Amino acid sequence: MQKTRILLCSLLILLLAAGIGPAYAYSTPESIAAAGKVYVDNVSYDPNAFFSGDIGTASYTVKNGNTDLGVVVNHATLSDPSQKFSMIGGDHQSSAQIGPGQSHTFTFTVRADGSDGFYYPVFSLSFRDADNLFAREMVRIDNTPLLLTIKDKPDAFTAGKKKTVYLEVANPRVNAVENVILEVSGQGAEFTPSRIYIGSIGPGKTALVNFSVTPNSEAPVLMTLHYDNGNNPHEVTKELPIVFGIDKKAAEPVMSNVQVKNTGGTWHVTGDVNNAGLETANTVIVTSLPPAVPEDPYKVYVVGALKPDDFGSFEITFAADGVESVPVKLSYKDADGNVYDTIQDVRISTGLSLTTTSDSGGFPVMPVAAAIVIVLVFVGGWAYYLRRNRK
Amino acid sequence: MTSPLTDILFRPDAFFENILAGHENLKIPALIILAGGIIAAVLGYLMGEQPATMMAGIMPGMDTIVLITAVVGAFLGTFIFWLIVAGLFYIISILFKGEGSFNRTLEVVGYGYLPQVIGSVITLIAAIEYLPRVAIPALTKSALEDPAMIEAATTALMHDPAMVEFTQISTLIAIVFMLWSANIWIFGMKHARGLSPRDAAICVGVPVVLYVIYVIYTLGAM
Repeated sequence: MQKTRILLCSLLILLLAAGIGPAYAYSTPESIAAAGKVYVDNVSYDPNAFFSGDIGTASYTVKNGNTDLGVVVNHATLSDPSQKFSMIGGDHQSSAQIGPGQSHTFTFTVRADGSDGFYYPVFSLSFRDADNLFAREMVRIDNTPLLLTIKDKPDAFTAGKKKTVYLEVANPRVNAVENVILEVSGQGAEFTPSRIYIGSIGPGKTALVNFSVTPNSEAPVLMTLHYDNGNNPHEVTKELPIVFGIDKKAAEPVMSNVQVKNTGGTWHVTGDVNNAGLETANTVIVTSLPPAVPEDPYKVYVVGALKPDDFGSFEITFAADGVESVPVKLSYKDADGNVYDTIQDVRISTGLSLTTTSDSGGFPVMPVAAAIVIVLVFVGGWAYYLRRNRK
Repeated sequence: MTSPLTDILFRPDAFFENILAGHENLKIPALIILAGGIIAAVLGYLMGEQPATMMAGIMPGMDTIVLITAVVGAFLGTFIFWLIVAGLFYIISILFKGEGSFNRTLEVVGYGYLPQVIGSVITLIAAIEYLPRVAIPALTKSALEDPAMIEAATTALMHDPAMVEFTQISTLIAIVFMLWSANIWIFGMKHARGLSPRDAAICVGVPVVLYVIYVIYTLGAM
C-alpha cells in the first residue's frame, strides 16, 4: 500500500515536471517584458584609468527592475570590438537568477592592450527566456606618469656636508595612485631617509617630500618614485647631479687686520676674523700650522660663533725659526657640525710683519729749529761774553 | 756758600779756579764719568731691546749679543768719549800755546760731563715713557742673506712714530746738555791750560758746535 502511494507521488511529480518545465524554457511576452526591465545599474573599472599593459577589473552591476518577476541569466561576457582591451578572466557561463528588485555584479579581469585613448568594451548578458542585454561603457587608457619635481636644492654640494633636497610629487592622472614610495640611491653618498612612503595621491594632487644627502663624491643621485595603478606597479625616475662647488650661502670667515710681533722669540699674531658669508660660522678656531710650533699662552684661539657680518678678534702664539711665512688655520663648523678649514699664510719676515708706519712725518722742522736756536743762543751768549770781557 | 756740585754747573769759572789750584785729582771726574756710564748703560739696555727683539729671529742668542753690545758699548763709550774729548781739547789747545798736563784736561772734561749725566737721566725717563710704545719689526734667518731686509727693518724701526718722537726729544736734550758741558769745559780749559777766554771758547766751542751741527743734521735727515 505504501509502495503504491510513493509510486503515485513520483508519477505526479514527473507529470508536473513534464507539463510546467517546457513552459519556462521558451520566450513568452511576459518574459520578454520582464527582461526589458533588467538594466546595467553600475559600471566600474579598477583602476579608473589604465596604463597600457595594466591588468585590472571591470565590474558590471545588473539590476532587475521588475517588482514581481525574477529573471534568469546564463551568460555574461565582456569584449572590445577594437581589441584594445582583452578579457583575460571572469567569463560568466553559469545561470543565475536575479530576483525582483535585486542586483547582480559581473566582474571581469581585463588587460589594456591599446595606447592612450578612450575605449568602449561591450558587455553582453543572455537571458534564458529572452534575448540579450548589451551595454557599452567608456574606459580610458592614460599613460601619463607621475611627475617628480625638484622644488629646491642647494646651489652647490660640498663633500661630506649634509644638504637637503626638496621634491614635489604630482599626480596629473585622472585616477588616484597608491603606495607611492620615493626611493633615493647613489654611489658615495648617504641619504636620510633613503625610502619615503607617501601613500595615495589623488588625481590632480601633489605631495611634498624632502631628504638629506651627504655626498662624498660627484656621483649622481637617482630618485625613483614607485607607485601602484590598481595592482600594477609603475615607477618614474629622476637624476640629481651632484657637483661640488662653492656654497654661495656658506659662512666665510676671513682674517684681517693681521699684525705680527716677536717677543723673546715667540711670535704673536693678532687680528680679526670677519664672517663674510651668509650663514653662521660656529666655533671658529684659529691656530698655527707647521712649520710653526704653537706655544702658550695662545696655542689655539677660540673665537666662537660668528653671525654673518660679525667679527671677532684673535691672538695666537707660536715659535717659528727660519721661515718667511707661517700657515694659519681658521676652522669653523656649520649648523650640521661639518668642519671647514681655511688656511691663510701670514708673513712673519720683515716685509709684512711690520706694524709700524714708514711715514715719519717728513722733515722735523720744530726739533731742528729748536736745536739751531739753542746753538745760536749758546754761540751768541759766548760771543757777547767775550766781547764784554775784552772791554 | 754753595756746594761744589752747583758750582760746577752754575759757577764753573770760580769752581775751576779753586779746584785747579790744588793737586790733580781724577777721582771725582772719574766718578762722574762712571755715573754717566752706568746711566748710559741702562739707557743702552732700553734702546738695545728694540734692535735685539728685531734681530731675535735671525739666529738664537742674537738678541742677547745685541743687548750686551748695547750695554757694554754705552758704558765703555762714556769713558772713551771722556778720553777723546779731552784729547781733542788738549790738541787744539796746543795751537793756542796752552800749558798744563793732559790729566788736568781730563779732570776738566770729567767735571764738565756732569750736565750730561743729568741729561742722560732725563733721556732715560723719556726712554721709559716712549720705547715700550715702539712697534718692533722682526727679522728671520733669511735676513742674513739679504742686507736690504735688515736695512728695511732698521728703517722701519727708526721711523716708528714713538721712536721718532723719542729720538727728537733725546737729541734736543743731548744738545742742550752738551752745550751746558761745553760752557763748563771752556772755563775749565781756560784754567787747566792757561788759555784766554777767547782761545778756550774756540778750543772747546768749535768742535762742540761742529758736533752739535752734525747732530742737528742727522736729526733732520731722519
